[in-house]
Amino acid sequence: MSKPRSSDHQRSALFHVHDESFYRDLKRRNVVRLSLTYLLPIILLTVFFYVQYGTLESEGESLHLKSIAENQSKTLDLYLSERLVNLDNLIDDPEFEHPPSSLNMRNHLEKLVASSPAFVDLGYFDSSGIQTSYWGPFPSLEKRNYSAEQWYLDLKKSSVGYIITDIYLGFRQQPHFTIAVCRTVDGNHIVLRATLDPTKMYEYISSLEGAGEVNTMIVNKAGYYQVVTPHLGSPLQSSSIVPPLEPRLGVESASVAGVKLTYAYSWLRGADWALIVQFAAARNKSILSGVRLQVLGISALAVVLILFVIVGRAEKLVDLQRESDRTKAQLEHAAKLASVGELAAGIAHEINNPLAVISETAGLMKDLLNPEFGCTPQPGDLEKYLDEIHDSVFRCRDITRKLLGFVRKTDVSLKSLDINRLIDSVLGGFLTREMAVYNIEIVRRYSSNLPHIVSDSNQLQQVVLNMLNNAADAMEERAGKITITTSISGRFLSIAISDSGKGIKPEDIDKIFLPFFTTKEVGKGTGLGLSVSYGIIKNLGGQIEVQSKVGEGTTFVINLPIAGTETVV
Amino acid sequence: MAEKIKLLIVDDEVKFLESIAQRLEMRGFDVTKATNGERALDEARKSKFDVALLDLRMPGMNGVEVLGVLKKEHKYIEAIILTGHGSIDSAVECTKLGAFDYLPKPYELEKLLEVLQKAYEARLRKKFALDEVRMAKIQELAAGSSPLTILREMSKLDDGEK
Repeated sequence: MSKPRSSDHQRSALFHVHDESFYRDLKRRNVVRLSLTYLLPIILLTVFFYVQYGTLESEGESLHLKSIAENQSKTLDLYLSERLVNLDNLIDDPEFEHPPSSLNMRNHLEKLVASSPAFVDLGYFDSSGIQTSYWGPFPSLEKRNYSAEQWYLDLKKSSVGYIITDIYLGFRQQPHFTIAVCRTVDGNHIVLRATLDPTKMYEYISSLEGAGEVNTMIVNKAGYYQVVTPHLGSPLQSSSIVPPLEPRLGVESASVAGVKLTYAYSWLRGADWALIVQFAAARNKSILSGVRLQVLGISALAVVLILFVIVGRAEKLVDLQRESDRTKAQLEHAAKLASVGELAAGIAHEINNPLAVISETAGLMKDLLNPEFGCTPQPGDLEKYLDEIHDSVFRCRDITRKLLGFVRKTDVSLKSLDINRLIDSVLGGFLTREMAVYNIEIVRRYSSNLPHIVSDSNQLQQVVLNMLNNAADAMEERAGKITITTSISGRFLSIAISDSGKGIKPEDIDKIFLPFFTTKEVGKGTGLGLSVSYGIIKNLGGQIEVQSKVGEGTTFVINLPIAGTETVV
Repeated sequence: MAEKIKLLIVDDEVKFLESIAQRLEMRGFDVTKATNGERALDEARKSKFDVALLDLRMPGMNGVEVLGVLKKEHKYIEAIILTGHGSIDSAVECTKLGAFDYLPKPYELEKLLEVLQKAYEARLRKKFALDEVRMAKIQELAAGSSPLTILREMSKLDDGEK
């Protein structure tokens, strides 16, 4: 039988209320423990979320950026092929005259501009590379020889019969690019070309869906801007970002002027251009950190709140502990007084009897000396009576002395003890007589080679007395036997007190150490004896065990640690 | 005193028993001592007592048990309880069992003598009452009953006196 009592302070608290520093320390330990328990998971979770969310978010951003790049490049491809088709349709029209007149060229250009405002001018080149017909804002270009121009040479080499050039300055010294198609008419190799304004193309791109949240630029293979958001640069400037050629579509990180940024690119199919998008810087930061900041804020708030609760809770716990310690100390004192109360009736008998002897013997002496009765007392007789009075007086003194021993508020005072003698001192005198009154036989089975153990004699006496009282009560005023056995079992010295009483019912056995649990009649027992005994023995580092069989009797075994004790020589 | 009052004193405290017995003898009582309940009952069966002084706490039979048997076997004996165990419970129990009085130890001898006197008077009263009953019975029976019936009734009454 062992009652769960865990921590050390509880054990010792049974005997005194601790000083304030103990409770401060307890509170501090509680706060730390509760904080670790409740705050650590939140903090870990927050960090995990913070990192994970960041990764997820940047992954999401990347995907989003990539899809914008892909969409825009597709749209741009479509846009360029439409422009190409414009030219194809024009030149393949059976009504297209070779070479066209200026008026026709004007009409043709107007038609082109109607389909896209990016068209700037239109030129017609004969097989020798001379621009024979032209309409546009640069009439000086008419009759110019383009046979040495790069785009013209590339077109002649091309197998597909068209070309879309990078942006260049050309004769007009303005950024533009060329879309040209070539045909063979009546054996002559002729070329129709239109130039387009990149700024118009930029406007077109800017009008696409999703363009608002990104900066878009187009870079050629050599790494020069073709089209670019104005504040990032201007066409034909060298780009700070050069996307890889493979794969054709991707997301990359680059460091521009010490700032790390993520961009998505997509190579066009119709031209050797890569479309690059990157989030507008403002958006890049604010949304990301906004959500994370929220999470951090909420976590911090939670931590502060929980900390607040924990501190409050620890305070409460410590208050409860303090209260409980105080109650236990009071309980212990009450139990001591109560056991004195239980003793009082027996003590009254034990004191009153010698007093009666004194009174009667003194009375007898008076009678003997009274001439009325006519006795002649012998000095020897009188001396015998006086001795009887003297003995009785000291019998009373012994009892009051013992009584005081129980009432005295005892602190734990450790002494080397002979347990056999300690038990005898409890049994000695009135307890034995008391047992005899109830026809209870006391059998002592002491081990003769018990080591002395260091313990508290007052408290042990109290426990042994308590056990003996219980054993006697268990007999219910029938004759019986109490066997007291002392022995060594392992590291413990055992005191076994067996009675032949009524035994403890199985349903009660778990409760017997609880305060105020009693099976005795109302007014006979306080229910404190075993509870206090348990506390005392625990406090002395030992334990109490109990075995019982209804109708046969009960054995209480008190085990006391031998460690750190001296051996009897 | 023409006739000595017969006392039976039962106490396991021998010194007390000796002293009180001697003092009461000096005061003209016929005292018989017993140190435990069984011996007391034996003595009571041997001779008739007027009053018994009983201790409550004794090894073997306790005072209450002795009182119960005494009152059962001897209708007219009076018992005075002398005890150091002065609790109200035991006093009530003894009174229920027919104890004449209850004196906590230690007591004044004068008080004991007083109670003894009263107990003896009570005992006498009971005796007189019995005698009256006897007389009435004799008169009643003499009127019509046979002498044999009278003798049988008389012996029945005497049984109680034993």
